[in-house]
Amino acid sequence: MTFFQILEKNGWYFFTTLLSGWPATLTVASGALVFALIFGLVIALMRISTWRLLRWPATAYLEFFRGTPALVQLFVIYFGFPDWGFQPSPLQAAIIGLGMNGAAYISEIYRAGIESIHRGQMEAALSLGMTPIKAMQHIILPQAIRTMLPPMTNFSIVLLKDTAIVFSIGVLEVMALARQLVTETLTSAPIYLMAGAMYLCVTIPMARLAARLERQRQAWQ
Amino acid sequence: MLELPQIYAENIHRWLPELLYYSLMTLKIGFFSFIVAVVFGILVALCRVSKNGLVRTLAIWFIEIGRGLPIVVILYIIYFVPPQLFPGLNWTWFSDFTGAVLGLGIHGGAILAEVFRSGIEALHKGQREAAMSLGMTPAKSMVYIILPQATRIVLPPVGNYAIGLLKDTSLCTLIGVNEIMNGAKSIAFSDYQPMAVFILVAGIYFAMSYPLSLLVRALERRLRTAQ
Repeated sequence: MTFFQILEKNGWYFFTTLLSGWPATLTVASGALVFALIFGLVIALMRISTWRLLRWPATAYLEFFRGTPALVQLFVIYFGFPDWGFQPSPLQAAIIGLGMNGAAYISEIYRAGIESIHRGQMEAALSLGMTPIKAMQHIILPQAIRTMLPPMTNFSIVLLKDTAIVFSIGVLEVMALARQLVTETLTSAPIYLMAGAMYLCVTIPMARLAARLERQRQAWQ
Repeated sequence: MLELPQIYAENIHRWLPELLYYSLMTLKIGFFSFIVAVVFGILVALCRVSKNGLVRTLAIWFIEIGRGLPIVVILYIIYFVPPQLFPGLNWTWFSDFTGAVLGLGIHGGAILAEVFRSGIEALHKGQREAAMSLGMTPAKSMVYIILPQATRIVLPPVGNYAIGLLKDTSLCTLIGVNEIMNGAKSIAFSDYQPMAVFILVAGIYFAMSYPLSLLVRALERRLRTAQ
């Protein structure tokens, strides 16, 4: 059968099956994003701290997670943690793994955002009697968000694309279902192309959004 | 956690040589796909700034698709799809290694195309006009005036791309290339020591990528002071 005959016969089946993988893909992506947003802020604040005992572990974390592939980190968490008595489910391992990986990258976005705010802002807030945490919360971070939004959007795209590797630890997301379909029907071309088209339908609009946010930010300044 | 040093003491003389042997494949994939990516990147960047509208549109599509697809999906499409679309051709030359290098190269080409374009566009137009008005040919002005300055701008992002590429080669295990992750998986599951083996692999990746990232940072600092 030719490519188009296969597509005509099984196309709808491929489409609905692949579509049913999107909830898992989006769960992993959003779960890891929330994890990374929270944990990344902690790392960023530790990194800009004046206290070495906080700064050094954060730097070590950052260097290690940016220096090793996400796939290895996932394998350590999913296959390695049971050695230490913690057996995560594939979904948990994927969210923790991509989240810890993402925290390293996102902490640099936070740091650049915080450092883009003029020092005088912090000094002014402190001289008004705010605590450093309050000043960060009410003065610095709200202003830094404008700078951080475009890179954060770009990072979300990267994270969404990274979820395509979590089938290797058994999460039933889009690529896992694509591979199942391939073994089931013994055709690969239409399935992988369709899966690719689905990813593009999400990532290209997100990239457009990021570019637009970046233009707006530059117009503001 | 306490037994890790002991596990390493007992097994490292077997594991390390084997993993280092596999890591040669990782370096080989990284090296060749870097070259493919640079070639694709230059070609697509030149198309992207072309005056021909069709060529420009094609380049934009290449960049959008190459950057929008997960690398795994690119690898799967490059490795599995062409032999099925054109079964009549001879595909014996098309190994998993070729698929890996092409797939990573196409993805890298899309990323580097944007890097190169920003390098070319960052230079003031006057530079080229000045070179031409001094009597240089377009080719000469490119070689002596434009490229040396553009190189300085694109070198740090290209270095960062190379670091990312080195880590991305780990994905080639998913199409069955015998690189370090593949070796690690077989050792980890035959010796029942996944934690120890995968942490060792992480260490090997780190040993490869960290010097590279220190180099890129030193380069960034030097170029910043030069400006």
